[in-house]
Amino acid sequence: MVHGDKTAVDALIEAPEVKALSFVGSTPIAEYIYAEGTKRGKRVQALGGAKNHAVLMPDADLDNAVSALMGAAYGSCGERCMAISVAVCVGDQVADALVAKLVPQIKALKIGAGTSCGLDMGPLVTGQARDKVSGYVDDGVAAGATLVVDGRGLSIPGNEEGFFLGGCLFDNVTPEMRIYKEEIFGPVLCVVRVNSLEEAMKLINDHEYGNGTCIFTRDGEAARLFCDEIEVGMVGVNVPLPVPVAYHSFGGWKRSLFGDLHAYGPDGVRFYTRRKAITQRWPQRASHEASQFAFPSL
Amino acid sequence: MSVIPHLINGELVTENGRAVDVFNPSTGQAIHKLPLATRETIQHAIDAAKAAFPAWRNTPPAKRAQVMFRFKQLLEQNEARISQLISAEHGKTLEDAAGELKRGIENVEFACAAPEILKGEYSRNVGPNIDAWSDFQPLGVVAGITPFNFPAMVPLWMYPLAIVCGNCFILKPSERDPSSTLLIAQLLIEAGLP
Repeated sequence: MVHGDKTAVDALIEAPEVKALSFVGSTPIAEYIYAEGTKRGKRVQALGGAKNHAVLMPDADLDNAVSALMGAAYGSCGERCMAISVAVCVGDQVADALVAKLVPQIKALKIGAGTSCGLDMGPLVTGQARDKVSGYVDDGVAAGATLVVDGRGLSIPGNEEGFFLGGCLFDNVTPEMRIYKEEIFGPVLCVVRVNSLEEAMKLINDHEYGNGTCIFTRDGEAARLFCDEIEVGMVGVNVPLPVPVAYHSFGGWKRSLFGDLHAYGPDGVRFYTRRKAITQRWPQRASHEASQFAFPSL
Repeated sequence: MSVIPHLINGELVTENGRAVDVFNPSTGQAIHKLPLATRETIQHAIDAAKAAFPAWRNTPPAKRAQVMFRFKQLLEQNEARISQLISAEHGKTLEDAAGELKRGIENVEFACAAPEILKGEYSRNVGPNIDAWSDFQPLGVVAGITPFNFPAMVPLWMYPLAIVCGNCFILKPSERDPSSTLLIAQLLIEAGLP
């Protein structure tokens, strides 16, 4: 195990002894490692960014969906590549009800030093990360989204120098806004309003990333259509963070993963081994066969 | 402020070159120094991994899996210590840190099945007196580069499986929160990884 920055990464990419590289991080670096590694004949699986949408259908069990969204959007301060950062509401009625239920819960988030017990959220990882996420919130306001809960400028008594940011909620977010297009990687949830499941799915399928997604519904037909047609690698039905268990494999589609095989599980076994096909014959001693010039077949 | 070393060939290695600070994000204070490897240090790790490969690839998969059984036990025994280290450098809550470790341990459990998953495929009598099979052989030296957001789980996605498949693995964890990752790597040595 070695610590390092780009110098270390480049040394690993360039070393002919290194036969394969697994990477998890941001999309620009994933793409760089994939391009540079494969150019040198290495196997590469490079997992990058995400923008995970949760679709809320009019028949969803809203209270449970809200609980699921709170954990998936604000758990670990949103610093998860499977975090839900967009709630796509089918119909204004669902959107209004969702926002009304989310607001008090976001304001009640218990935030403090991660090492204390019984909290919902700790700080962001660095001051730079906190400022970047805070900048996205500024940008969303400037772009015309409705900032329903503002977590900027949060100060935790006794930990005033910590990199804290409260939970933020935007409503009326539209697809051309930066807060919709880019991965924020912070405690910011964006509500997008659409009129149908088809419109919700088109939105998701048109997005640059395709890591995870989920649908909240009681309608099996809608859920089945969603699972079949959505251009995303990991899909949840009433499951907000569909991170596959270790005996399946983890991976996104589109610009969330560069490579052919997903991480761990059966794909991981294929990635870390190569097939050798052996054909062996032990002829009987007495037999003699003439040369065959046609391609051998049965 | 303590220095977090590299771990190469079972030995803790420090170097006096470029370094960065590791912070406790809850307090905003720098708590450790982390050396940034030079190309020579990386080559040293690659050479060590390459030298270890011939014996490791010929170690029976069942023996390799036994290391993972012990590793799983050690990870469970050290859950509180590992969660504390994750939380102190990443900032996530202790419960969240324990959760990521449990999901990481799942991958160690999967790796315990090495003899089963490496059985290969076999066909008898594909022609007169001819048998055919596919072996799944290790690649050699492989590497993983992992992010700050899951300093325990994402490395555990990679190296238990790579190692039980017979490879030698070089891990470059995130420079933001490497202490839990280092402790876990030390537990793997304690579990009997040569």
